[in-house]
Amino acid sequence: MNFCRNLLLALILGGCCTLNAFAYYHLPRLPPPDQYGDVVMDRVSSAAGEKAVVFSHWSHRSRYSCRVCHFELNFELKAGETEISEEENRDGDFCGACHDGRRAFGHTEEHCGKCHTGPLVDRYKAFSALQNRLPRSRFGNRIDWAAAQQQGLIEPLFSLFRAAEQPMPFDKRLVLMAEWNWVPPAVFDHAAHNPWLDCANCHPDIFNIQKKTTKHFLMEFILKKKFCGVCHFSVALPIDDCHACHPAMKK
Amino acid sequence: MMRYLLFVLLFLLVPAQVFSFGEKLKRPKAQDFGNVVINSYSEAKGEAAVMFPHWLHRAKFTCRLCHVDLGFAMQAGGTDITEADNEAGLFCGSCHNNKISFGPLIDHPALGKIRQCERCHSVGKQIKMKNDFREFRRQMPRERFGNGIDWMAAEDQGKIKLVDYLEGISIKRKEFKKPEDFKLTSAEQKMPQIIFSHERHAVWNGCETCHPEIFPVKKGAQPYSMQDIFAGKYCGACHDKVAFPNIDCQRCHTDSVY
Repeated sequence: MNFCRNLLLALILGGCCTLNAFAYYHLPRLPPPDQYGDVVMDRVSSAAGEKAVVFSHWSHRSRYSCRVCHFELNFELKAGETEISEEENRDGDFCGACHDGRRAFGHTEEHCGKCHTGPLVDRYKAFSALQNRLPRSRFGNRIDWAAAQQQGLIEPLFSLFRAAEQPMPFDKRLVLMAEWNWVPPAVFDHAAHNPWLDCANCHPDIFNIQKKTTKHFLMEFILKKKFCGVCHFSVALPIDDCHACHPAMKK
Repeated sequence: MMRYLLFVLLFLLVPAQVFSFGEKLKRPKAQDFGNVVINSYSEAKGEAAVMFPHWLHRAKFTCRLCHVDLGFAMQAGGTDITEADNEAGLFCGSCHNNKISFGPLIDHPALGKIRQCERCHSVGKQIKMKNDFREFRRQMPRERFGNGIDWMAAEDQGKIKLVDYLEGISIKRKEFKKPEDFKLTSAEQKMPQIIFSHERHAVWNGCETCHPEIFPVKKGAQPYSMQDIFAGKYCGACHDKVAFPNIDCQRCHTDSVY
């Protein structure tokens, strides 16, 4: 009896804590537009007496699709998870696939400081020059990357290995009903993602391919950086822009 | 009071464990792709488990030679190899016998007899392999996935020459007659069709690696889905484990939309 009372109390108490956590969820504060998407890589650098690497997503995504690095070059989606080593870079893996002295500056002594900058680096000038020639959006880098690509203002490379490879013609549009009936449905457009990503960036790890069986595909998990939140918190159009995915929602 | 807290903690911790969905899984590094840990009996007998490097063996032998002629299963641990088997010239011992490749005991001209156990029983030990992966890969045409080696181009260019016959074990076979390529239609609308090349597969696998166990020989007799393949069945028996991974969608889904 005593056990049951304890369990009931615990459930109520625990339930309240959990609900509170969801009810008062605060979106993380966005960094300034020129720093949105920047990643500090310091898995081994500091320990080896070298400054940490600051990787700027905006400068790379203006020239390369997400797919080149996160699919063809096997970069993981979380900072520090890829286990990049200088030896591998010099052997043409990871950063070294482009930073080889031909496509981009190489891994030679005089260039170390270009990536191993330490965490404080001001790239504002280069950023604003890029931002000024591209259509704007309200959040993140405040650049509408999708529009920039559609208008041909940037031409992100689709494949580093196969020049003829084109995005899959798979353009299925999904209308995803929200859990709450006062939230209009989210519209997912495969065609909008295809110029940047490969099928395998999302399937089957992040979203399995069985119909209507992606378990717990709810906003509360997206807010925990799962599913859409894997990209749409840190690099892609940030989650702050509700209207972008729930188009019927008032701005 | 402590008991309340414990219950509250338990209640809060449960969702964190259950809901680990919606994230990308880590993929193996180029040098580790295809490696298999064989530990049927090793650790139970106080010996380190075996780390089998697929890349090194597929650079010299066809898949068929080991998986058909020598009877290696397609799943790690499925073969049930013992040291006695190897010593009797079965499985690994078919080549690792000091004739084709090193055996368990080699006769060094200066140092006398040296045990070679650690060259295979290397899991958890810092063993430097005689054949360096990176050095080998620098000689090979590059590819984006798996080992980062385009094995088929390497074979086409004559950079690797695959042995498909072991004296005393393999049987002499007739020249392989190429069956035609065929198309597989996806159940998903707007998904490009798959063109399956028998010719490409037969060089490495012959017929027996796939038929009739993985694929029945009658066309269309066994429908299978991409989910089955992701789960390691059908094409997934090799692709993702040793052959190029399933993430390379466009390498199979090559045809135009029907």
